[in-house]
Amino acid sequence: MGSFNALNKTSPPTRVAVVAAGIVSPLGFGLRETLQSLQKATDCVTPVSRFDVSNCRCKTAAQIPDDRLFGKRQKNRKTARLHRASHMMIAAMAELTERDPKFVPDITIIGTTSGGMSFGENYYRAVYQHENLRRAPEWLANYPPQKPVLDAQHEFGISAPCFVIANACASGTNAIGRAFEGIRSGKYERVLTGGYDALSELVFVGFDSLQAATPEKCRPFDRDRTGMVLGEGAAVLALENFESARKRGAEILGEVMGYGISTDNHHLTQPDPSGSGPRRAMEQALESGGCSPDQVDYINAHGTATAFNDAAEGKAISEVFGSVPVSSTKSMIGHSLGAAGAIEAVICLLALQSQFLPPNINFRQPDSGLALNIVANESREAKIDVALSNSFGFGGTNASVLISKLAA
Amino acid sequence: MSLSIAGMGWITPLGRGVDQVWDRLIRGDEAIPQTVAGGEGAKTYHSFLVPNDALQNLPPHPRLRRVSAISRFAVAAGLDAIAQAKSESFKVDTEKLALVFAVSNGGVVYTKRFYHNIVEAGAQSASPLLFPETVFNAPASHLAAILGVNGATYTVVGDGAVGILGIQMAAELLETGAARHCLVVGAEEADWVLCDAYHKWRLTRSSPPIEPFSDSARGTILSEGAGAVLLGADGRVKIDRVNSGGNFSHQRDATKVVQRILHDLRDPNACIVASANGTFIDDAEREAIQNEASECIVYSPKAALGEGVGASALWQIIVAARALERKHLPPMLHAGNNSLLRFPADGDKLGPTAIVLSCGMNQQATGLRLLA
Repeated sequence: MGSFNALNKTSPPTRVAVVAAGIVSPLGFGLRETLQSLQKATDCVTPVSRFDVSNCRCKTAAQIPDDRLFGKRQKNRKTARLHRASHMMIAAMAELTERDPKFVPDITIIGTTSGGMSFGENYYRAVYQHENLRRAPEWLANYPPQKPVLDAQHEFGISAPCFVIANACASGTNAIGRAFEGIRSGKYERVLTGGYDALSELVFVGFDSLQAATPEKCRPFDRDRTGMVLGEGAAVLALENFESARKRGAEILGEVMGYGISTDNHHLTQPDPSGSGPRRAMEQALESGGCSPDQVDYINAHGTATAFNDAAEGKAISEVFGSVPVSSTKSMIGHSLGAAGAIEAVICLLALQSQFLPPNINFRQPDSGLALNIVANESREAKIDVALSNSFGFGGTNASVLISKLAA
Repeated sequence: MSLSIAGMGWITPLGRGVDQVWDRLIRGDEAIPQTVAGGEGAKTYHSFLVPNDALQNLPPHPRLRRVSAISRFAVAAGLDAIAQAKSESFKVDTEKLALVFAVSNGGVVYTKRFYHNIVEAGAQSASPLLFPETVFNAPASHLAAILGVNGATYTVVGDGAVGILGIQMAAELLETGAARHCLVVGAEEADWVLCDAYHKWRLTRSSPPIEPFSDSARGTILSEGAGAVLLGADGRVKIDRVNSGGNFSHQRDATKVVQRILHDLRDPNACIVASANGTFIDDAEREAIQNEASECIVYSPKAALGEGVGASALWQIIVAARALERKHLPPMLHAGNNSLLRFPADGDKLGPTAIVLSCGMNQQATGLRLLA
């Protein structure tokens, strides 16, 4: 284990390759299903079936079907105890390790917001309602946010130290950003990164109580947008020093070029209307990637469809990038919180590989206050070399990551 | 680049302020247990709580109006660390300050209250004021707003080892030039629901004392508070090595991971500030220390301060840094007589290095080494 002061300063900065990825989201299991659903502009939002939402304004979310998630694994006594977030992480990791079985990370950095929250809910309900607490130790042991990450590592024989970042909805992008910085600085050769979050009652009701969740369709950047819907999922990316990846003949899916982070101190849950926080994060990502705004061909926006987020983000995007194509894929898969940044980074990789713009569905009317080039309702073919993915969260955390196609 | 501690702040069940708490530890004081009651008919527990007067003199910032205790603890410790650095003439530029917040259980008081309303009266009664405070990074957000940090702010979650993971992250932020100083804060708040959960998880005992390294692991006592260290290139105590450690799937495997960490950090002249807290951790650390560093003086502050989970590793680092400055350790309280470890004794003179071991209760272990 190297110490921090053993950093290998390199000049120019080390390039960072994405050598494998795995994804589980309402769009499907794996990169292939995800790509097909994106291209078909699939609306994955359905009525919530996992808990009672009869007293909520919003009654829908984008959910991963249990039968596919658990499959045969549920029959195994040990894995049956795990939280569904662990199953998501394991499924995403299975794809990643299948794609690159030789990838052994020095360290793991994963983003999440709520860990195994529904197990905490089970425990509290059982205590409050004086129900049987026989399963309490198993709920409690599987509740902490690091547990799904450690379960996934254990499943695939990975023993890397594990960092879990909980920067609210920016967690996944922050995790990728830290992984990128770690390799770029020469500190690490390979980093496993990504994010996960599973739908839970507490979080669902929380967003509903803030009236941030919509009882209607999720319409990011639309004039008549009324809020977000929640989602869930997990995505993992294998990042590696570019030269090391090339030497061992690894398939290179793309490159992480830049990363930006900023903190907006305006309010705990609302962005500064000026868009200064998102703007700083995006500008920093461009600077870090040595990229000019006109080199960016597509932006996967944070785009929650709340009035405040979309106004601030839209303002920042149009000021920095002008008329670059923008979409929020949350319109299809909802907001998967700590997983969102990782899922959306994988979506950017797919867009770069397959040369298309993922759609922003449910879009009806442009917001006259936002000068944005929205990829409305249908995916479309396009030449894309560089994509930017944004994630912003409670606490004023803003993060942007710049991803490029591997140059021919 | 050198990584040093430029300032420290802590708020603990023994009070607030580096000098005050250190003096009490040296005197052999231990926190006074307080009864933590649940609802009617529910089992009661003991916990070590932060005294009310320790939170005086917080700035009248609007962000602190409705926040939960964990945010107040984090703000108090963070501001104290910066104040100490400034008092020692270190220039702290908030434009170049990053913040790393380490936590395990988070804002459990408001989370419980928020979810209780849902369980008791339905989703329509959920409070939009409480929900944002349940998010893990709420304390970091409040502290960033009070300090005016607008660059990198990270919240890392994990078990008791998370504080050292926070130090590692800070080291990387400083090393890559993302910041000139980084404030690392670990915090936790205690509540009945946590006491009950850890009890059902079979990790706590009903009442004190905590008996580190005793013959049988009778359990720990939860506590609350925060610890903060301001890291930069200059300071009186240097962090010369951080080991991000590893993970163990079963408690019985913890020894191997702790031993690997200790092997990497070992120094025959070092003292060890351990995380032994009356649980399985004690056996793991004892065996690792016996195998790798049997000559070292060993101290655990948990009998005096309790198990502060997300705050614990920061408390240990502050104890270790203070011990190097003062050249002695506090007395070890309630330790087992047969542990075969070398505990602090009158007349011991410490060398220039200290190792902080941090083994958490849910599969993570880390460590670091300090140099005076």
